[in-house]
Amino acid sequence: MTPQSLLQLTSQKCTTGCPILDRLLYGGIPCDSITEIVAESGSGKTQICLQLSLHAQLPVSHGGLAASSLYLHTEFPFPFRRLHQLCLSFRSSNAHHFPVNDNPCDRIFVQSVHTADHLLEIMSKTDPFIENSKNQVPVRLIVIDSIAALFRSDFDNTPVELKRRSSLFFKISSKLKALAKRFNLAVLVTNQVVDLVGPNEGINGLFLSRNEEVIREENEKSNGQSCDFVKKKMRKLYVVFAPHLPESSCEFEITREGLFGVER
Amino acid sequence: MEIWRLPISASQRGKLISAGYTSLSSLSSISSSDLARELKVSESEAMNILKVASHSRGSETSNASCSIVEGALSAWDMLHDEESLMHITTSSADLDNILGGGIHCKEVTEIGWSSLSLIVNSVLKYKLTTAFGSESIIFMLIGGVPGIGKTQLGIQIAVNVQIPNDFGGLGGKAIYIDTEGSFMVERAFQIAEACIEDMSEYNRFLRKDFQECKIKMLPQDILENIFYFRICSYTEQIALINYLDKFLSEHKDVGIVVLCRVKVIVVDSVTFHFRQDFDDMALRTRVLSGMALKLMNLAKRFSLAVVLLNQVTTKHTEASFQLALALGDSWSHTCTNRIVLYWNGNERYAYIDKSPSLRSASAAYSVTARGIRNSSSSCKRIKMM
Repeated sequence: MTPQSLLQLTSQKCTTGCPILDRLLYGGIPCDSITEIVAESGSGKTQICLQLSLHAQLPVSHGGLAASSLYLHTEFPFPFRRLHQLCLSFRSSNAHHFPVNDNPCDRIFVQSVHTADHLLEIMSKTDPFIENSKNQVPVRLIVIDSIAALFRSDFDNTPVELKRRSSLFFKISSKLKALAKRFNLAVLVTNQVVDLVGPNEGINGLFLSRNEEVIREENEKSNGQSCDFVKKKMRKLYVVFAPHLPESSCEFEITREGLFGVER
Repeated sequence: MEIWRLPISASQRGKLISAGYTSLSSLSSISSSDLARELKVSESEAMNILKVASHSRGSETSNASCSIVEGALSAWDMLHDEESLMHITTSSADLDNILGGGIHCKEVTEIGWSSLSLIVNSVLKYKLTTAFGSESIIFMLIGGVPGIGKTQLGIQIAVNVQIPNDFGGLGGKAIYIDTEGSFMVERAFQIAEACIEDMSEYNRFLRKDFQECKIKMLPQDILENIFYFRICSYTEQIALINYLDKFLSEHKDVGIVVLCRVKVIVVDSVTFHFRQDFDDMALRTRVLSGMALKLMNLAKRFSLAVVLLNQVTTKHTEASFQLALALGDSWSHTCTNRIVLYWNGNERYAYIDKSPSLRSASAAYSVTARGIRNSSSSCKRIKMM
């Protein structure tokens, strides 16, 4: 065992596709670690995930990872329509990076997950999958949307069940970390919120988010003047904690082209 | 003890010193006839000198060869040793204050998420000199909830241990064992930069001729002196800790380079891999305490500080859930000091949960862009709705 030199250890980031959000996150989602997104339903968690799996394909010089991505979804159906829509605008704005008949969707591998044990099983198959994909574009991003859905129904509220649940959390997160380390992957996990059960909002918050960056989005209905006809939704993104980021926040909006930060 | 303090006549003393005998130990292995010949005195006189010498050697200390158990120290000697030991500052004056000056070497400290940063800040503000002063062994366990700043404190300590002796630091190196993948190089770089800035500011403040004591350190040098190990399973973790002995012996000070050796081991976090795959809790406890023993042994032998970061867990007692430090009660016996980091309203606090020598106290600290510093109202937690 030899120590790694910190000078050679670079922290690569995967761009979110929006300069304002990238600035907030110091360049994007870091490789070699897990990033968790926590938010209520309808806040735009899946939007970020889709957008990121497209932007990971950008060349490194443009903030991407020049890589394909693995998208594990637990909520059905998978939003193919939206992905296709995002893909069109992504391709038209980054046309010079891709050949004419190339479809970025080809480099997003989608897999559905039904239970937590199923997820573990899939992850054990991920190792050979990533290794064998080396001749093509390598996989450098894993998205799990959402991890919380796997844990919401199957477990009772008894100590034994809770223990089993938390041991599964640890298994999954350590497996993810080992994968992230081995292949220098960026891992993005989404989590849901529950009505207050304790000091931590996310149901998995205490366990999976340990020590990783958590980005929290929030919807705030703006209390605009009553004559406003269109109710404009203000969405906000918070960095809750991350070893390399200060606590900060930023507003964003979701358009047809994707998700963009708004500067005030 | 030296020759001139022996209760013998002045002429004998003069003869001894001029013959090159300056310390008692130099007299320990010589025979009376040899001594008589060398000092040109009668053999009975030489015998007398030796008797006095061995008598005062015996009464002087109980630690050397005369002690019953080899290597045993009297409490007095230990106190004396400890006073000469150095502390690693936490950069937070308040935190250092409650820790009695910073993190001690030769001890194992567990830090829950709340306390390490407190320590870091206090030293820089008040007593940059004394804070880094002591090389005692500390086994310190620090624990706390996610996001409280455990990793920040770990990085800060790994950087602060390198503050040179001229600035009251230890001038040592650090071993950083990362089990969670939360160590960010860019963050370590930031903290190192701020640390160097603070040092030069201190320099300007205290010494007018900064020509002489210019800081030649670069953030890169600081990063280079952190030996970073990334651990992906508990078997690796145990293997690494077994290997550290060899690693430390190889990186011991050689000749003049006394300053450059490992002075602190940070394990971030000791818990993570032990929270999965262990169905047999008794086995887990045995493995953990074996590991703790090894770390403590290292701390003692190489006189370095060991800082363990721990996580929190929910404890189910009497139908209610409470936050408690992970790994159970038996684990909490293993560390010398235990610090718990917690949120108090919007402020981060460190609390000394367990320590044989420090009174329990708490102090506020904050995590800033420059690292861990004293609490200021500007660094509040973002209130989450």
